[in-house]
Amino acid sequence: MATFVDQVRELGLKQATIAKADEAVERLTAGMNVNDLRDMLRGEEPRRPNPRLRPHADGFWLHIRPSFYHTEVTHIYPTFRLGWLSTFMFVWETITGIFLMIFYTPSPDAAYSDIWNILGNVPLGQLMRNLHRFGAEVMVVVVALHMLRTFVTGSYKQPRQFTWVTGMVLLVLTLILSFSGYLLPWDQLAYWAVTVAVSAAEATPGPPALGENINLLLRGAPTIGAGGLLRFYLLHVLALPLLLAIFFFVHYYKVVIHGHSLPPGREAIGEDTAKRVPRDERTYFLPDIATSELMWTALTVLFLVAGSIWFYNAPLERQANPLVTPLHVVAPWYLAWSQGWLKLADKVFIAFIFIPGLATAFFLMPYFEVGKSRRYADRRVGLSVAMLFIALMWISNWMGSPEYRVQSSPDQEVAQELLPQEGHSALKEVPYAYLEPGTYGPFDAEDAPNPFLAAALEEFGHAMQQRSCSLNGDGPFERCRVIEQGDDVRYGNSFTNDAMPNPQAQLIIDDYQENMRRLVLVFSAPDPRNPESSLYSYTRTGYRHELSNYEEERRILQ
Amino acid sequence: MQTKIIIGTIAFMLTMIVLGFVALNEPARLEAFSNAYEGRSIENGAEIFANNCATCHGINGRAEQCFDAAGNEIGCVGRPLNAVDLLCGTKPPRLVAMDWGGAKYDFIEGTVAAGRPWAGMPTWGQQFGGPLQNNEVRDVTLFVLNWESETLCGGEAVEGPVWPSQVSELPAGDPENGAAVYQVPYGCNACHGLVEDESTANGPGPWLGVLAEEADERIEGYTAADYIYESILLPNAHIAPECLTGGQPGPCAEPSTMLANFGERMTEQDMADVISYILGTTEFESNVEVQYPEGAVAPPVEE
Repeated sequence: MATFVDQVRELGLKQATIAKADEAVERLTAGMNVNDLRDMLRGEEPRRPNPRLRPHADGFWLHIRPSFYHTEVTHIYPTFRLGWLSTFMFVWETITGIFLMIFYTPSPDAAYSDIWNILGNVPLGQLMRNLHRFGAEVMVVVVALHMLRTFVTGSYKQPRQFTWVTGMVLLVLTLILSFSGYLLPWDQLAYWAVTVAVSAAEATPGPPALGENINLLLRGAPTIGAGGLLRFYLLHVLALPLLLAIFFFVHYYKVVIHGHSLPPGREAIGEDTAKRVPRDERTYFLPDIATSELMWTALTVLFLVAGSIWFYNAPLERQANPLVTPLHVVAPWYLAWSQGWLKLADKVFIAFIFIPGLATAFFLMPYFEVGKSRRYADRRVGLSVAMLFIALMWISNWMGSPEYRVQSSPDQEVAQELLPQEGHSALKEVPYAYLEPGTYGPFDAEDAPNPFLAAALEEFGHAMQQRSCSLNGDGPFERCRVIEQGDDVRYGNSFTNDAMPNPQAQLIIDDYQENMRRLVLVFSAPDPRNPESSLYSYTRTGYRHELSNYEEERRILQ
Repeated sequence: MQTKIIIGTIAFMLTMIVLGFVALNEPARLEAFSNAYEGRSIENGAEIFANNCATCHGINGRAEQCFDAAGNEIGCVGRPLNAVDLLCGTKPPRLVAMDWGGAKYDFIEGTVAAGRPWAGMPTWGQQFGGPLQNNEVRDVTLFVLNWESETLCGGEAVEGPVWPSQVSELPAGDPENGAAVYQVPYGCNACHGLVEDESTANGPGPWLGVLAEEADERIEGYTAADYIYESILLPNAHIAPECLTGGQPGPCAEPSTMLANFGERMTEQDMADVISYILGTTEFESNVEVQYPEGAVAPPVEE
């Protein structure tokens, strides 16, 4: 073996350096030199023996990737790239998550202010948090769609049953991973959503000690506190990603072993030709699949970045407070179906019979759905059941959504719409300078001193119309429907059975401190049967500081 | 493949451009957000204050008008917080009076968290057995500090109230009105009980029913009215010999824990009415001159 000095003597410094660089590139790519790379990018045919196969044989990164695919599975249909996209989202969440970890302490004393520190002190911190949270929701969608696609094209059938099982594990892990991150900001939204979800464990059938202990295991104490936060944190950053990575490799190994199933119409019924790819139908990983994946990476990153800037804002409510339960606690949308189901039947039945039963059915489905044909025309029953199931989930999700929630009294509901304890509303988003002190009625939008306040008053009028009625049918409200329930009389309109008859409502804005205004909503409705007493009477006060910045929160770019 | 490379490159460049614009706008956004956290803390503090503190300190923090849960006006037993001597300057008089070495923020946060049990202020912080989390104590503290403003502290000395140097110059007192204002709005009964009923006096102030008999003997040369007049305006001028402490008679605290702001809050007529309620006479004699400092609530001079 000639040393570099010998080579310089023989070839001259320039040629020797070029040769050395070429050698380095060949080592880094595990088999391709500079010329091979250049040929590949120019779209030229490889030389013989094909150097583009060597990274698969000798390199670490590509050894798990097949060196060629059946051309039929490299188009958008049938995979829609959803499996690759799921993997990408996991990597994406890991990277953005590590960034957030740097600025986060899993302790009730520090977690919440750490998030504010990320928002207000860390350059690009808000973007990074939005990317992570938006990414988590996108990942849930992508993984669910990947499962749907696998079902629709029948790719779970023999020999890929076990791939489906590991895929189901990955779906469940994705949901738990997403939800375990929910608690970490330690705000009211997080705290109460998780408290409600974990309380399902109390309903564990069997001796009460069992449910209590499961609960204790999850919460780390009778209520979620420092211990519970630390547990959820460790689950989120350590245990679940590790499990997910393990199952990912099992899943992907199975995918490679069996090959991507061809579109159902492309092979004879009962045959699986994915691993017998004729020479002329091969699409090689290098360069075609690799460039395609790079393109999708770039497009997905663009989508996530743009989405996190213009369309998505990770919410942050007030700091968690075990003594204050917000009016409406909701699960994240991807778990809203479970909240919807809990309204239909007993907690024990839903949480310990129905959902586990359904999950088991999903896991085992490929082992008892053994029809040979993957073609759509032969699977009408299966596909119809799938569509019905999607419809069921859609409706359940709606039933679990805030729109379908248990209503409190109409005055409180209107107050909640305008001055919610947490989250956004038209009134909260009026910039401070436009909150002109004064007294406003719900139908004063036209006379409002500025368009911001006009928009908020319009909401006020709209909310009042939904929750009010008029006893003699005139004025801005619908005529009351009188509903007698024994001795009690309620008044309804077409929207609700519990409306305020002939209500008085006002919004009073006044200066409280030099840079803070007070927003007071006052409702009163006299009892029509006894005008001395009032049926509804309620006051809600909200405060608005000059610097609170609710109106800007949703926009990073202006 | 070439198309894919081009699409990918364009997407990558667009991402970089968008990120570049975000980065350009980032300093302004960061500032808006660090302020937003403070603004929202103050809002939260305002809510906690209205629910917990306003009963004793008044919704405007001036200890002028206080309401119980049912909406009835009651005497304010707390000290004014929206006040020059607490909020203005780096070392406001109230901190100096307690030899407080730290900042205003720490003073208020400490007082809210630990309370002043000897003066009737409960502990609020959870670490001392109260109901509020650390962050809520912080929010209330920021809210109280937010009363500091140009208007309040102004820079120029605020004109303090001027009181006649002799109690005999007060208008004639009305004991019935005195009995009313003794409770609302001044809340004297919270510490001293009612003059006509000793069992209502549960401390930390002494029962005042004895004064009609004893007041003229307490300090040599003082008439009964002189003694009471000066004690209301300047609580530290005389310390009464015996107070109830935890239901047991004992020496009164020195310096006095009585609020020193009645000179700012009371009108001359109310003062006369309260004295006449305590003494049972409508006209007052005087032997001494009371030196109520002018400009008593002037902001402290910055060092």
